[in-house]
Amino acid sequence: MLRSVLTLAALAAPLSAAAADTGSLLRFITCPVYRDADSGKKSGCWLAEDPATGIRYDVSLSPHKPDWNYAVLVEGRTTAQPETPCGAPVLDAVRTSRLYDIPCTRHILPAEGYPGRRFVLPRRNPQPTSVPAPSFAGPFVDRSFTVYFEFGNDFLVYQYSDWLIQQAYYWMLSAKPKKLIITGFAASAPETVSGRVMAEPADLALQRAQTVATTMARLLPGIAIETRADPSTTGTSDAEADGIPGQAQRRVEIRAVL
Amino acid sequence: MSVSGFRMAAMVAPALGALAMGAGAIAAQGGAPDTWWYPGSGKTFAASQDYPNAQGTLRVQVEGGAVKTRGHAFFEPLGANGRACVTCHQPADAMSLSAATAQQRWTASNGHDPLFAAIDGSNCPILPQDQRASHSLLLERGLFRVQLPWPMTAWNGRPVTPDFDIEVVRDPNGCNSAPGYGPKAGNISVYRRPRPVANMKYLLAVGFVFDPKQGFALPLSPEDGRMMSGNIMADNRAGTLRIQMQDAAHGHLQAGKPLTDAQVRQITDFEMRVFTAQQTDAHGNDLSSMGANGGPNHLRVSAPGALGAIGTPVWSEFAAWEKLSPEQAATLTPKQLEFRKSVARGARVFREKMFLITDSAGINSRIGFGNPVRNSCVFCHNMSQMGNDVAPGQVDLGTTTMPFADSMPDLPLFRITCRGRPHPHYGRVIYTMDPGFAMTSGKCADVGKITLQSMRGLSARAPFFSNGLARDLRGIVDYYDRRYSIGYTEQEKQDLVNLMSVL
Ligand code: HEC
Ligand code: HEC
Repeated sequence: MLRSVLTLAALAAPLSAAAADTGSLLRFITCPVYRDADSGKKSGCWLAEDPATGIRYDVSLSPHKPDWNYAVLVEGRTTAQPETPCGAPVLDAVRTSRLYDIPCTRHILPAEGYPGRRFVLPRRNPQPTSVPAPSFAGPFVDRSFTVYFEFGNDFLVYQYSDWLIQQAYYWMLSAKPKKLIITGFAASAPETVSGRVMAEPADLALQRAQTVATTMARLLPGIAIETRADPSTTGTSDAEADGIPGQAQRRVEIRAVL
Repeated sequence: MSVSGFRMAAMVAPALGALAMGAGAIAAQGGAPDTWWYPGSGKTFAASQDYPNAQGTLRVQVEGGAVKTRGHAFFEPLGANGRACVTCHQPADAMSLSAATAQQRWTASNGHDPLFAAIDGSNCPILPQDQRASHSLLLERGLFRVQLPWPMTAWNGRPVTPDFDIEVVRDPNGCNSAPGYGPKAGNISVYRRPRPVANMKYLLAVGFVFDPKQGFALPLSPEDGRMMSGNIMADNRAGTLRIQMQDAAHGHLQAGKPLTDAQVRQITDFEMRVFTAQQTDAHGNDLSSMGANGGPNHLRVSAPGALGAIGTPVWSEFAAWEKLSPEQAATLTPKQLEFRKSVARGARVFREKMFLITDSAGINSRIGFGNPVRNSCVFCHNMSQMGNDVAPGQVDLGTTTMPFADSMPDLPLFRITCRGRPHPHYGRVIYTMDPGFAMTSGKCADVGKITLQSMRGLSARAPFFSNGLARDLRGIVDYYDRRYSIGYTEQEKQDLVNLMSVL
C-alpha cells in the first residue's frame, strides 16, 4: 500500500513549495533514499519524500539516521536553508525513526554533483572520561532531567540521549541526590500518519524507565532508584526536544530527589 | 540435519589439502623452534626481547624489568595437560600463536606437544588424536575449539534466556552433534584464534562511560565496581582479566581447581606489564627512527583509551615519513625509502579512504549512524596507538556469518532462528559459523558480532580475524574490499599491507 502511494507521488512536485512555508511541522512515513554524496566521513545524504505532497526532503540532520531497508517516521520542521548540500529542501530539526516492520527496497542515488555535508561534531556529544566532570555550585534543589527516544523503542540515541544523561550525571555528581525517580512515557494515543495508525505500545513506558534506570545505576552505583510509567501521551516544553511534539512525548524524566 | 563427524571429516580432507599448499606463504612467520617458550622452562622473561619474522622484527617489552618465570602462574603448567598460558600466548607470536608456529610444533614434537591437547587443540576430542587431520583447524587456521554453554551465561555467570534457537546445519568435526556435544547436550563449539595478551591497558581502557552500540552505560566489574571496557574476548564473555583467566585455567589448562588469589595477582601483573609491536621492518628500518614512533616503547609510555578522531590520529606514529628531508632520504636505499613512504600513505588510506559500510550490526544498527554510512577503516578501529574500538567493539563484520563470510567447509555451520524481532540485516533466519557476542548477550541482534582486536604485532600472528579467515595481511585487505565493495587501487592495497606489517 505504502509502496504504491510512493510511486504515484514520485514525479517531482515543485521544490519551492517547501521553502514557502518555513517552520511548519511535517510528519510522514516513507522509504528513505540514500544519496552517495562524499565530503568525507558521515557526509552522505538521507532523503525522504512526503507521500502527501510528493516533496522529497533532506532529513540528514536527524540524530538517528535511517536504514535503507526500512521505512522511517519523519518528523521535522521546514526551513529556508539552501538545498545545496543534498539537492532537497532541508528539514531541521528533524527525526527519522526506523520502522522495522515496514520493509523498503533499498535505493541509492549517485551524488549528482551534490556535496553532502562535512561532518561536524554535534553540540550534544558526550565527553570522554579523560575530561574532568564540571562541578556545579549549590545550594541545590530537586531537579528533573529529560531523555528522548525514537518512535517505538527504548534505545539511547547516540550523541543525543547519552549527552542528555551525561549532563544530568555531571549535575548529580555535585548535587548528590539521595534518590532518583525515573518515569518513562510512551506516545500510546493512536494517530494516523501517511495512512497508517501509529501508536507506541503502553508497556514501552516502563521499558524506557528501566533502560534509563540501568544506566543511572551504573553511573551512580548504589543510588536509590524508583521507576514509574506513564503511557498517557503527554509532552514537555523542554528545549532539548527541539520543538518536535512527537519527540517531546517519547521520553524519560529523571527526577533527582535531594 | 547434522552429519556424523567422521564422515564429514573425510569429506573435508581435500579442502584442507588445498589450504596446506598455501602454507608456504606463512611458514616464515612466528616463532622458529628455538624461540618456542616451553611451559615451566624456568627461564627469565627478559625486559626486552626481539623475535624475527618475515616482515622484520617483533619486540616484546616488559614494563618494570625482567620477570622470573619459575613458579609464575602464567608460565607454569598448572593443569592436567601440561600447558601453561604461555603455550598459546607466545612472545615470538606477539603473545598470540600463529598457525605457522603450530605447524612447527607439530613437526618438532611429532604431534605430542601439549599444545595439541584433545580438549581444544584438536578439531574435537572424539577424533583419533594421533592423526594430523584431527588437528587441522589449529594447524591450518590457528584455531582452538571454544566450547560454550547453551543456553548461555553472561560475563557475570548469570544464566541468559536467548531470544533465538540454534540448530546445527554442518558439523565436520563432531563437536556439535556427537554424544555429549552440541546444543542438545547443552553446549556449542566454535573455533577461534587466540587473542594477543599484550598492550592490555588499551584493551581495558574506558574512554567513554557509554556503550553506544548497546545503548547503556558500561556495566560495572563485580570485582572493584568500576566500569568494564567490554573489549576482551571475541564474544566478550569475560568482562575482566580475573574472569577471563579463571575460564582459561579451567578450559585451556584443565586445571583441577581455580587459580588462587596470589596466582590471579601474578598473572594480572604480568599481563598489564607486557607490551609488543613490530620494531624493525623487512628492509632493516628501525620503526622508531626518523621521527616515527613505531615499536612497543611508545605503547608503554602513552596513555590508553583516547579517540583518534579528537586527539592523536590513529597510526600518526608514521606521519613523519610523509615528508622525509632530502638528507634523511639520502641515508636510505631506494627500497627503504619507498617502503617508508608506503607505510605513511597506508596510514592515510586507513583513515581517509572512504567507503560505504553496510549491514554491519553494531555500526549500521541499532546505533543511528545510518545504513549505509560513509566512513573509513578508522571508524571502527578508532583508538590512538592501538586501533581497537574505544567503545566496546562488538561489530558484525560478516567474518563468521553468511553470506558475507568466505566458505569454510571445515568449520561448523549453525542456523539461528530469531524468536522475537528478526535481525535487522539478516532477517529471521541466520546462518553462522560463530554467533560471537550473541553467545554472551543471548540476543539474535548480536549474532556474528566479534570484538575488535588490537592491531599490534600482526606480522607475528597470522592468520587473522577470529576464525582465521584471512591467511595473511593481504587477505585482510581483500576481505574488506569484497565486503564493502571499496575498490582500493593496487597501490592502496599494498600501502595498507605495508602499514599493517609494521604495527
Ligand atoms: C589452548 C590455548 C590457550 C591457552 C593455554 C590460554 N589461552 Fe588465552 N586465549 C586463547 C584463545 C583461543 C583466546 C580467544 C578466545 C575467545 O575470543 O573466545 C584467548 C584469549 C585470551 C585473552 C583475551 C585477550 C583479548 O584481548 O581479548 C586473555 C587475557 C588470555 N587469553 C589470557 C590467558 C591466560 C591468563 C591463560 C592461562 C591461564 C591463557 N590465556 C591460556 C587460547 C589460550
Ligand atoms: C565496520 C567496522 C570495521 C571497519 C570499517 C573495519 N574493521 Fe577491521 N575489524 C572489525 C572487526 C569487528 C574485527 C574483528 C573481526 C573478527 O575477528 O572476526 C576487525 C578486525 C581487524 C583486524 C584484526 C585482525 C586480527 O586477527 O587481529 C585488522 C588488522 C583489521 N580489522 C583491519 C582493518 C582495515 C585495514 C580496515 C579498512 C579496510 C578495517 N579493518 C575496517 C571492524 C571493522
